[in-house]
Amino acid sequence: MTAMKKIVSEIQSFHLFLRILIVLVTAGFFAAIARFTFGLGATTNLNDIYPWGLWISFDVVTSVPLAAGAFVLGAIVHCFHIKKLEPLVRPAIVTGFLGYSLVCIGLLLDLGQPQRGWHVFAYPNLHSPMFEVALCVMSYTTVALLEFLSPVCEKLGFHLPLRVLRTLELPLIVLGAAIATLHQSTIGTFFLIAVDKLHNLWYNPILPLLFWISAVFTGMCIIIIEAVMVHRYLNQPDETDLLATLARIIPWFLGIYLALKVFALFYLSERPLFDRPVLTALFTIEMVAGIIIPMIMFLQKRIRTDGVLQLRAAGLVVMFGLVLNRFNVSMFGMIQKNQQIYYPSAIESIVTIGIIAAHILFFAVVARYFPIFEHHSEDTDYAIADGFHRTKGPVVPEKV
Amino acid sequence: MSTTRDLSNQRTFLIDLTKCTGCRGCQVACKQWNQMEAEKTSFFKGEGYQNPATLSEYTLTTIQFKDYFHEGKNEFSFYKAMCMHCNDPACVSVCPVSAFVKTPEGPVIYDTKKCIGCRFCMIACPFGIPRYQWSKALPLVVKCTGCYSRVKEGLIPACAKACPTAIKYGGRQEMIDEAKRRLTANPGRYMNRIYGLEEAGGTSVLYLSAVPFDDIGFRNVTRRPLPSRTWAALRFVPAAFITMGGSLAFISWLTHRKEKIRRDKEMKEAGHASQKGDRS
Amino acid sequence: MAIGCNPAENHPISFKWIEAAIDKGAKLIAIDPRYTRTASKADIYVSIRPGTDIAFLGGLINYALTKNLIQTEYVRDYTNASFIVSEGFGFKEGMFDHWDDREKAYDVKAWTYATDETGKALRDPTMKHGRCVFQLLKKHYSRYDIDTVAKVTGTNKFDYLRVAEAFCGTGQPGKTGTILYAMGITQSTHGVQNVRATAMLQMLLGNMGVAGGGVNALRGESNVQGSTDYGLLFHTLPGYLPSPEYKDETLEAVIARYFPKTKESKSTNWWQNGGKYMVSLLKAWWGENATAENGFCYNYLPKRNGNHSYLQIIKKMIEGGLEGLVCMGMNPAVGGPDSLRAREGLGNLKWLVTADLWETETSIFWKRPGANPKDIKTEVFMLPAAASMEKEGSISNSGRWAQWRYTATEPPGVAKSDLWILDQFHHHVKTLYKKEGGRFPDPIVKLAWNYGSGHEPDVHQVAKEINGYFTRDTTIQDKDKTLEFKAGDQVPAFAQLQDDGSTVSGCWIYCGSYTSKGNMMARRDPTDLPNGLGMYPNWAWSWPVNRRILYNRASVDKTGKPFDPKRPVITWNGSEKKWEGDVPDGGAPPVDDEKGAYPFIMVPEGVGRLFALTMKDGPFPEHYEPIESPMKNPLSKVQNNPCAEVGTNVTCDLNRFPCIGTTYRMTEHWQAGAMTRSLPWLVELVPDMFVEISRSLANEKDIKNGDRVTVVTERGSIEGFALVTFRMQPFVVDGVSIEQVGMPWHFGYAGLATGDSANVLTSGAQSPSSSIPEFKAFLCNIFKGGKGA
Repeated sequence: MTAMKKIVSEIQSFHLFLRILIVLVTAGFFAAIARFTFGLGATTNLNDIYPWGLWISFDVVTSVPLAAGAFVLGAIVHCFHIKKLEPLVRPAIVTGFLGYSLVCIGLLLDLGQPQRGWHVFAYPNLHSPMFEVALCVMSYTTVALLEFLSPVCEKLGFHLPLRVLRTLELPLIVLGAAIATLHQSTIGTFFLIAVDKLHNLWYNPILPLLFWISAVFTGMCIIIIEAVMVHRYLNQPDETDLLATLARIIPWFLGIYLALKVFALFYLSERPLFDRPVLTALFTIEMVAGIIIPMIMFLQKRIRTDGVLQLRAAGLVVMFGLVLNRFNVSMFGMIQKNQQIYYPSAIESIVTIGIIAAHILFFAVVARYFPIFEHHSEDTDYAIADGFHRTKGPVVPEKV
Repeated sequence: MSTTRDLSNQRTFLIDLTKCTGCRGCQVACKQWNQMEAEKTSFFKGEGYQNPATLSEYTLTTIQFKDYFHEGKNEFSFYKAMCMHCNDPACVSVCPVSAFVKTPEGPVIYDTKKCIGCRFCMIACPFGIPRYQWSKALPLVVKCTGCYSRVKEGLIPACAKACPTAIKYGGRQEMIDEAKRRLTANPGRYMNRIYGLEEAGGTSVLYLSAVPFDDIGFRNVTRRPLPSRTWAALRFVPAAFITMGGSLAFISWLTHRKEKIRRDKEMKEAGHASQKGDRS
Repeated sequence: MAIGCNPAENHPISFKWIEAAIDKGAKLIAIDPRYTRTASKADIYVSIRPGTDIAFLGGLINYALTKNLIQTEYVRDYTNASFIVSEGFGFKEGMFDHWDDREKAYDVKAWTYATDETGKALRDPTMKHGRCVFQLLKKHYSRYDIDTVAKVTGTNKFDYLRVAEAFCGTGQPGKTGTILYAMGITQSTHGVQNVRATAMLQMLLGNMGVAGGGVNALRGESNVQGSTDYGLLFHTLPGYLPSPEYKDETLEAVIARYFPKTKESKSTNWWQNGGKYMVSLLKAWWGENATAENGFCYNYLPKRNGNHSYLQIIKKMIEGGLEGLVCMGMNPAVGGPDSLRAREGLGNLKWLVTADLWETETSIFWKRPGANPKDIKTEVFMLPAAASMEKEGSISNSGRWAQWRYTATEPPGVAKSDLWILDQFHHHVKTLYKKEGGRFPDPIVKLAWNYGSGHEPDVHQVAKEINGYFTRDTTIQDKDKTLEFKAGDQVPAFAQLQDDGSTVSGCWIYCGSYTSKGNMMARRDPTDLPNGLGMYPNWAWSWPVNRRILYNRASVDKTGKPFDPKRPVITWNGSEKKWEGDVPDGGAPPVDDEKGAYPFIMVPEGVGRLFALTMKDGPFPEHYEPIESPMKNPLSKVQNNPCAEVGTNVTCDLNRFPCIGTTYRMTEHWQAGAMTRSLPWLVELVPDMFVEISRSLANEKDIKNGDRVTVVTERGSIEGFALVTFRMQPFVVDGVSIEQVGMPWHFGYAGLATGDSANVLTSGAQSPSSSIPEFKAFLCNIFKGGKGA
């Protein structure tokens, strides 16, 4: 009972915002139960014309790139050895791990027979992009978990595992980036099969490549957003300068993306392109607000170095360059002419909101209880006491 | 995946819509053979006497009616919507648990015991065929089985058996030849096209029609087999993995080496300096 | 030509063969008030105002005559075109001569041929004589010019000409055409004359008796062919033998009255053998009790005192004149006209027995919507019946093939076959009569009933008796052969049936169906004849004597050479002196031979009757308007068929009922709906009652597709959904556009899927000869909204 009491008192000490999140997560949990009790037909607005709706569009197709910060930053910091950005790595890893775990939960909810999820391993189909994504997402989640276990072990003082994890850190990062490349792009490959369904504005053979590139720059932008958020709300230091460095890379990726996109549109896509006014509008917003404007913004030093403007530019990229793009590809661009429109049901919305709330909530909780913001150099040596025993005193050394 | 397997004897439907009278014998035979529930309907859903409105978890084939004036004359046309049993099926390629199989006899069948209900096949099918058991708590995908249980015993599908006029069933080359023969023998009667011959890379259901195919509900489907588009990207997976992993590993090694060299240099200089300091 | 029928929808299996013909180059002409699923497959579709078929066909007859498209040799040699008609025939201003205004009937016997002193009909082989049938025919149909016909039928003139050219073109050598018809032709106050017109057109074109020709009625109920063959209609005995009337006091009287002798030496006149068939039938019914001394129990046969057709029975029931009624697979509450009166009438019965697979509207008439069961005194018995695949027996198709079927599964619960039910009736009634006596028990008590002693009567015994057998050892001389038969042997063919009591036959036309060689109806050999015309002589068995095409002697010229060498139905082999091909219609040599015979063996003169001698309403079909009609008859002063029984609640008030109403069937439902409206897979297809209207009528009445509407006639009103379609078009009649409302009549208040019955709207106006109601043409009005509105 003491444990319960402790939990309750902890929660009561949470900020109101977090407590609201708890309510939303709980609501999402019950909505999920409703989905299993009454079935997908009764609880969602999905039907034979729209077999995939909000859960796939947001919880899978959008959430996966939103969690891309982990592998992007990991690669930048540890492979390219841009140590300046090192403090941002751990939070990114947590975001990544949480993001992918919630993707897995979202997927399980969306499946008709989630209890058969293991069938993907028992009856694999190497030609199926979904098999590849399932495999990669599961492996990546495992990698993210292992990466996440570092701060956990630090907090809980598990020395040997920590040492193992430390050794594995770089291989895991490389592995993570490699796996992430695969599934980020393969989510784009999903839609290659929808050749007569996805509108020509988005359908082209290099869709997977475009998805990967957008995942990369989104990851970077998410890091910016996250860093600004934790500075504003979790008392973390202002990392604007660090972020400015990151912001220098972003416009390059945006530029390459834009170039490829234009090339694909005019040389690889089928015609007609501009026959649907609503879709043309969505496409324009996506490209202008999501790519062109932020690119211009990030190219300017004064914006890169301004905390507020950084956030805005990054936000534009994420909102329009990524979220809108993913919805355009998986939902809006798939609507046929003169077809009924799909909109998510209450249960679908509550579940998705619950998942988003869970992400924020668990991040805040993890940030509160685990050392993800401590800056520590890679050079820190951990004395190895005999085997598994804890060292005396705090494991985490003083700031160097 | 490209295959060089010989399709000439694969079981194929030839549905000559100039002979179809819209009697729905096929619809009822299908329901009877597969023991599917009748849907609750009211009046008609669609033009003419159409019921139910479309394919569903309870209905594996429907006759779609079209009642209109074409070139100044009445037309009352009927289109039997059903799974096309493609030669290179999109559903087979995308299913993560290999629940769909293109059988050697021709029908594309589906193993209900493997399905996880992800509905990717529904997104993939260019003809919009697979339907979902929205009414069930643990839903599965549903589609025409090509009466495989009958075909593998040497019988013909239930709909083909019940149809008195329009459906022929036999080897693919035989059906193609017959279709071509009909088009040349009676050109005024037909639209000069065999639907299903090349759509999605070729299917096991071929249609002939008197009126334009677009008018009566046929979709315009690409001629290139759909799985080839996915495979064009997916085949790079191992390469992408190795390239990404390899280059990052290489870069890491490179930068760490640079670091090490730099640090060694620093330490050496520091050591020299301290040595120097010691001496003085 | 499919006129007044919809084979694609109502006889879908037949359509397979129609399409096979189309594949071989045939053209399908569909003539129907609306564009049906048959029309969708037709090469030529034309619309026709309901009830105007004689105008349409008369116009084709006129076209063939004036454009000289007739097959002259055939018409001259094989029809009565060359016969001279006596002065008793005349036609003026819409009426034929010899109309008795008191009897409200024609004196049919006045329309005769002019005869010589021996009584043989006079002829003019040149067909130019002013009183010969050919000239009279031409004169009669000269009034059916294309403009008049188009005016009456509402058919577009250009389309009509296409039909005329196409169909009348089949009179040319090497060409052939068939006419398919069904209820659209028969269900009219001039239904019989409609059929006559088709037969006349075919005779003029030389299409009777040839392959791909003929007048082909598409029989509806699955065994209506069998039902008429076995004499279930009130005016016939099995095998289309006449049912004697009260004035036929002896068997000899019957034979003299109905089986005339002929004066034509070359006419086979097969009905002259009718006496043998009557006797064999009587022997079948009363067995050993029927002897030559007692006229073979002829006096046990009930003698009819008039018309006891369906409508007369219902009328009597409505008047309270019927004590009890047995309905086996019959649903008067939905299937007959003026359903509301019929349903009320059922309440006048003391008892009602129904035998059906399901509850029908008739069996639950006492708890129908609006009825108070407490007020109804009728005792109702519902006998559950077995379905067709739950019993063994034969079914006869439109081609007269009797195909034997086996029991696929046992009937559910306590359902029983009709054979068992009738056997039980017989057993119990016989026992009651034996015990209690009665006014005249002998006809029942002395019935021969030899169908085995098992629980279920042996249907093979029934079939064998129908075929017939010898009651004693018999020797028959058949030309140069001597045939020996033992008692109990099956009779091989009706030519061997005798009138001395030595043979039994339950239905002479089926004699040959179950011989000593076994059950011919069960054969399934798909080998065709060498002529490859799809006759399959060893597949099942067709009456008569397995002949596949009737009147096939008309397919050869007088020397026995086929008119169409590509389609030789029969050919005379002069050297072997026999016919090859189909079973010839009478084995006699071709006409030119000394012993030759004419082709139409069932009429005394041996040739086809362009001029009819026995039709109640006239020797030539004449167009009259349906009883409820939107226009005045443009062809003559006589509005309706003068012989038609009109009934009381009919009207031509165009102010109240400006639209033409017609009824029809669909593939998805069966007749009154009892068999189909409780099957979920069929209910899924057509769940609700609906009416089909044109877009112009919908606009006029502000009705949208799917709206509820009410349709009203003088008899009553019903509610349904409106199906607005391009396939219905208004008729332009005298420059005025007249709309039509069409509807299926399958619905009722019983079963899984219910709806209002179309026959609430139809009237009891009936055809004089066949007594069939005029279901196909009446006047109605339509309003938006249900009956509550």
